[in-house]
Amino acid sequence: MPLALSKHLSLKRFTKGEAAQQTHIKLNHRRIFILPSKDGLTLAIVILLMLVASINYNNSMGFVFTFLLAAAAQASTLYSFKNLSGLIVSLSKTPDCYAGSTGHINFIIKEPGERERWAIHASHLGQLKTFDITKDLLLPVKLPIQFSHRGWYTPSTITLSTSFPFGVFRAWSPLLFKQPILVYPQPIDTGLALEFYPLNKEQNGLQSSQLGTDDFAGLKPYQLGQNYRQINWKAFAAEKGLFSNEFSAEQSASIWLNWQSCHQLALEEKLSQLCFWVLNCEAEGLKYGLRLPGIELAPSHGIEHQRACLKELALYEHA
Amino acid sequence: MSTLNHATMPLNPNLIKLLVVIGVLLIVPHTAELPISFIAIGFSLLAWRALTLWAPKTLPNKWLLLPLSIGLGFFVLKTYGMSLGRDASSSLLVLLMGLKLLESRTPRDAQVVIYMSFFVLITPFLFEQRLEVAIYALFIFYLLLFALVVNSTRNTSLKSPPLLRLSGLVLLQAIPLMLVFFLLFPRMIGPLWAMPDTQSAVSGISDSINPGTVSNLALSKETAFRVRFNGSLPKQKSLYWRGPVFWETDGQSWTLTPPKKDSFDRANPIPSQRSDIQYTLMMEPHHQFWLYALDIPAAAPTNTRLTHDHQLILNKKLTRNISFDIRSTTQKNITELSDTDLSRALKIPDNTDPRVIALAKKWVTTSTNKSDTVKSALQFYNDEFYYTLKPPSLGKNPVAEFLFESKRGFCGHFATSFATLMRAAGIPSRLVAGYQGGVYNKVGGFYNVRQADAHVWVEVWLADKGWVRVDPTAAIAPNRIEHSIDPSLQRINSNINFLLTPPEGLQKWAQQLKWAINSLDYYWQNSVLAYGPEKQLDFLSKFGILDWGDMVKWLASLTGLTLLFSLSIVLLLQKETHDPVQKAYLALCKKLAKKTGARLPHETTTDYFNRTIQLYPQKAEHLRTLQTLYLNTRYGKGSPQVFIQNVRRFKL
Repeated sequence: MPLALSKHLSLKRFTKGEAAQQTHIKLNHRRIFILPSKDGLTLAIVILLMLVASINYNNSMGFVFTFLLAAAAQASTLYSFKNLSGLIVSLSKTPDCYAGSTGHINFIIKEPGERERWAIHASHLGQLKTFDITKDLLLPVKLPIQFSHRGWYTPSTITLSTSFPFGVFRAWSPLLFKQPILVYPQPIDTGLALEFYPLNKEQNGLQSSQLGTDDFAGLKPYQLGQNYRQINWKAFAAEKGLFSNEFSAEQSASIWLNWQSCHQLALEEKLSQLCFWVLNCEAEGLKYGLRLPGIELAPSHGIEHQRACLKELALYEHA
Repeated sequence: MSTLNHATMPLNPNLIKLLVVIGVLLIVPHTAELPISFIAIGFSLLAWRALTLWAPKTLPNKWLLLPLSIGLGFFVLKTYGMSLGRDASSSLLVLLMGLKLLESRTPRDAQVVIYMSFFVLITPFLFEQRLEVAIYALFIFYLLLFALVVNSTRNTSLKSPPLLRLSGLVLLQAIPLMLVFFLLFPRMIGPLWAMPDTQSAVSGISDSINPGTVSNLALSKETAFRVRFNGSLPKQKSLYWRGPVFWETDGQSWTLTPPKKDSFDRANPIPSQRSDIQYTLMMEPHHQFWLYALDIPAAAPTNTRLTHDHQLILNKKLTRNISFDIRSTTQKNITELSDTDLSRALKIPDNTDPRVIALAKKWVTTSTNKSDTVKSALQFYNDEFYYTLKPPSLGKNPVAEFLFESKRGFCGHFATSFATLMRAAGIPSRLVAGYQGGVYNKVGGFYNVRQADAHVWVEVWLADKGWVRVDPTAAIAPNRIEHSIDPSLQRINSNINFLLTPPEGLQKWAQQLKWAINSLDYYWQNSVLAYGPEKQLDFLSKFGILDWGDMVKWLASLTGLTLLFSLSIVLLLQKETHDPVQKAYLALCKKLAKKTGARLPHETTTDYFNRTIQLYPQKAEHLRTLQTLYLNTRYGKGSPQVFIQNVRRFKL
């Protein structure tokens, strides 16, 4: 879409990139900028010295090669531009991120034709990666980020740049994306005991077939995606195939992870503790529910449920 | 993927190899010009760097490099002093390039080495701008561009066809812009600082003639100048190329007195006539003040002045190739001999051997007039003297020793002794140095006058004829005047070989080739090297560009146009980069559209093929194969070539 004149001239466009709108950005002449690099300025000085020598000796061949070098440097700008233009960049899903840990910002670079690209640098907040695109049509790029706070994290400008082919010009394209990353609280176990809130009998009876981790109940064929801890290695070693251990959790109870249980902790510590419990319960295969002031998630389990709980914790704002 | 950046990444060993090779190639053209010590140091630094590839421990640290650099700096200073002339700067650059390469550890260092190499690349041209050196340099230039590419990618191999091709493409693309700048960049900006050129070799005839000087040149095949005649060619024996005129002698040698203001004032250009000979003379830089012209130049071409003794004097020493359009005349120009000139032309050194004076007096008494005296003298030479390239060396009184004892010599001997004899006989005479003859290049249609054609002759003043050229060499060895010396056949103490017989067979081809190369060189000199301030103005005035202001305007607009043009080419070519498989597939769809209707936008490949097969069952088998091949190229490991070939073979 066309830009207004004021946006066209805005300095921010050169450094931070255009305001994010799409989920994927195609690099074109509007987004690619080019300026001489530090090495390019050094080359300019060298060319100037060569020119002075040529003028002084009125040397035709001196002029020829001085101008040839300058013209080659100029011609290289087209190749720098070509090295970036046409690439399509989109952010991809990030794995779960927790505050205080190092996560990654993941994006995919797509080469629509079959052009070869060389020495492209991708950078985000000082983290830099260099790659060539020779055969791949889709190239995933991962840049580490340090997440400090829970909540929505908006990625800063991702800059794709290149000094190809001669290192005398730097072409760059600053990209802003609108897709924020959800950062969960840092899981910390403060040592608080988890209070059980056993459910009533009827519910307990219904839960008898609920899978648990306590009592061994038999073998079942392994299904892809099941935790590898459940694999019956003895059977596997006897070359019987992959089986998973089946446990019954007869006395297993649904657990309420309660805000009130950690009332003596500070706000962020509470969230961290709850986060730890959520992860722990999920790993143990327990059914758990989450109670926060004004929010209640019914006991359940599974990756979706875990995400829902963590999202509440990540975005919780104290009234 | 790597997280290393430009400043800390270790240097690619293959790049070091490439840079060492480039360094060697850069030093080679300097071997003839720079002191052997610098060449040796340059090569050793490169060899050291090459060694470190196999033995990394030998890589010097800064505590070794710093004193080494300072030491080498002092060495340059000691050799050349404070002057930063071309020798000093070339040597310094070669050493700095080697030292920087030795110090290089990161791509950033390598970048600096490459930049220095670009500078070193132009230094050989400060000495000599030969075509073959230029082609050689263009090749190194290409290698340097490739080195830059290798340095800015993380490509560790040097055998990368796309990158090699890219360097070549950039080079080709740079040429139009280079030409625009070459033609239009204002050249009239003079030297920015005085060039210390004490070391520049003076070639050809010098400003002092003694009997032996010219014979040294007879072995040199180097070109002195080239001449293209506008009309018919004069006869070989009338090709006397007149250079400096010598009036003063001390008995040992003749020395040139720079012409005084008075000499320029008294010069009288001869008005243009139909019989005049017009020609363009392309002079090689000889670092002298005079120009050569066919005897006698009628008027002074641009940037020169005519003297009263018909020398052409340049405004400044000739340090680069310049071409001159000259007009010479065969008409005599009889002027009065002034009193000062008369006394100059008759003055013989006090220590002249009495035998010389006695011989001259004898001729005067036996002849009726001065022309007769000249004839007697020539007869004397013809009877008793030999023409040889290796005459016996002469002592303190060369004229007498030559005339009465050795009697063997070269043109220098004949001319100096003849002039002395004429003066002793009371006939005003002067010595003229220059060239005689030249080799006609049939391919290029020009005369190539070589140093081997250097010649000295005499002019005598006869009251009724004015200054008359007398060439005693012609009296002894008429072959010398009819034909040119063949320097490649000269042997010590043997007869002089001339270019006499027209070559046959293989030799003929060799000569044709030689001529072709020589004419190529001529065009090179004439159009590229001689493109200086004069030629630029001359050339550009044809397009109405008259001063540097115009040049800058044109330079700016043409540069803009060239850039726009190359940009549009790149952008247009970019559109073309369609996947070949996709192209073939679309072509197939277009072909099939006649039978089955166009492919619908929502149709997948499989849907589309299923539909076409139903509509066009005759070719069902073919279409199935094509479908499989296409899907294999997209989602499997199918060969694109096979699919494209099958599409080509497919007929409705």
